[in-house]
Amino acid sequence: MTSKMAGDTRSHTNPEQDGMTEQQKLQHQLQVFQNSLPKVNQIAFQMLLNEMVPLAVSVENKLINSEIKGTPKRNSSELEEMITNVHITAPLDKPSHKLCQQLYEANDGTREKILERLRSMGNQIGNKLTELLVFSNNPNLVFKDMDLLSVMKFICRDVWKQFYGKQIDNLKTNHRGTFYLLDYEYRPIQTFALDDQSTEEELAMIKPFFEIPVGLIKGVLSSLGYKEEEVVCMASYIDRPTDRPKSTFNKGVSFHVQVNMQ
Amino acid sequence: MAIYSFWIFDKHCNCLFNREWTLAANSSSGTVNSKQNEETAKLLYGMIFSLRSITLKLSQSPPANEIRSISTGKYRVHTHCTASGMWFILTTDFKQQSYGQVLQYIYSHIYVKYITHNLLAPFDLAENPSETRGQGTRKINNRHFIAALESFLAPMIMQ
Repeated sequence: MTSKMAGDTRSHTNPEQDGMTEQQKLQHQLQVFQNSLPKVNQIAFQMLLNEMVPLAVSVENKLINSEIKGTPKRNSSELEEMITNVHITAPLDKPSHKLCQQLYEANDGTREKILERLRSMGNQIGNKLTELLVFSNNPNLVFKDMDLLSVMKFICRDVWKQFYGKQIDNLKTNHRGTFYLLDYEYRPIQTFALDDQSTEEELAMIKPFFEIPVGLIKGVLSSLGYKEEEVVCMASYIDRPTDRPKSTFNKGVSFHVQVNMQ
Repeated sequence: MAIYSFWIFDKHCNCLFNREWTLAANSSSGTVNSKQNEETAKLLYGMIFSLRSITLKLSQSPPANEIRSISTGKYRVHTHCTASGMWFILTTDFKQQSYGQVLQYIYSHIYVKYITHNLLAPFDLAENPSETRGQGTRKINNRHFIAALESFLAPMIMQ
C-alpha cells in the first residue's frame, strides 16, 4: 500500500556504526522496513484513487437498474431471459468523465448517496491505513497518551505523505476540537479542468473528489478512538495565498474537522 | 528555427487539435482549432498516411519503419506516431533537422499530463461509431493544455 515513488533510493547509514542513539537505531529500522516494502507507482495509485468517484456513480447506476428490473420472481421465460443476458464480456460502464458529469447533474438525494459511499470507502481505507502506519514501527509515532493535536499532526504528516506524497501545507486549530487542514496543492485534482471556461461548474464537479480524504480523516480518527459520531469533517475550497508559487489548479482545499468531546 | 503549425490526429483519423501561427514575430498570433483548417487537416493527414504506408512497404526488416519527417520545397513536416495511434505533427522551416524530442516532450509532458490525467476530459474524443471514421469534429479545448503548449512552443516560433 505504500505510495512511494518507484526508484526512491535514499542512502542510509551503516547499521554497524557505533555511537548510534536509540532513536537513530529505530529510524534506521524504519528505513530498512520501508525499503523492503514493495513499491507502487505513484501515478497508478493516484489514478485508481481518482477512479473511485466514477466507480461510486456507476455502482449507484447498477443499483437503480436492478431495482427497476423488479421482483425476483422466476418462471421459465424469465430464466430464459436471464440466460440470454449472460454475457461473456459484460457491457462496460460509461466513460469516467460521463459519470462525473452525471454526478454533477444528479439530484440531491442520489448525490448524497454517492458521496456517502465515497466517504465510507475512504473511511475503510483510513481505518486500515492507521494499522499499517503503526505497524511500520515509526519511532516518531507514539500512540500511547496521544492527544488530539498530535493525532491531527499524524494525519497531516504521515497519512498525507503516504497518500499524496506531500504533507498538508497548514494546520490551524483553536485548541478546542476545531481544526483546519489546508492543502494548497491537493495533488489528485491538480490537472483537472473542463473544456470550456465555466469555472463554477468545474469546481462543483471536482468537489466530490474531496469526499475520499474526508472519509480518510474520519477513518483514521475513528481507528484511534474518536468515534464516528463525535467527528464532523467537511471539505471546501479556499483561495491560495498570493505568495505561493503558481500551480495549475487555482484553488486550495480546506478540510474542516470538528471533534466534539464530552 | 521557426514553427508554422502544430497538429494532433487520433487513431480514428480525426484532427483533435490544430494550431497555426501566422506572424513569426508574435507568438500569440494565428488560429487555434480553426474550422477553416478542416480541409487542410484532411490533406495533411492524407499526405502523411500515404507516405507512411509507402515507408512501411519499403522497409526490409520487420521493425516498423516509421516516417519521421517529410520535406517539401517550402517547409518540413515532422511526425511523431505513438503506439496508441496518436499523431503529433509539426510543420517547420528547414533550419533544424529533427523535432523528434520536441514532439516527444509535447506528448509525454503536456498531452499526457493535461489530457490523460484529467479525469473530467474524455480519453477518446470519438463518442459514437459515426465519429470514428474521420467524421468527428471534436477538438481539445482544455485551457491548461493550450497554455502549456503555447508557452513551450513560443520560443521556437520566432527566429
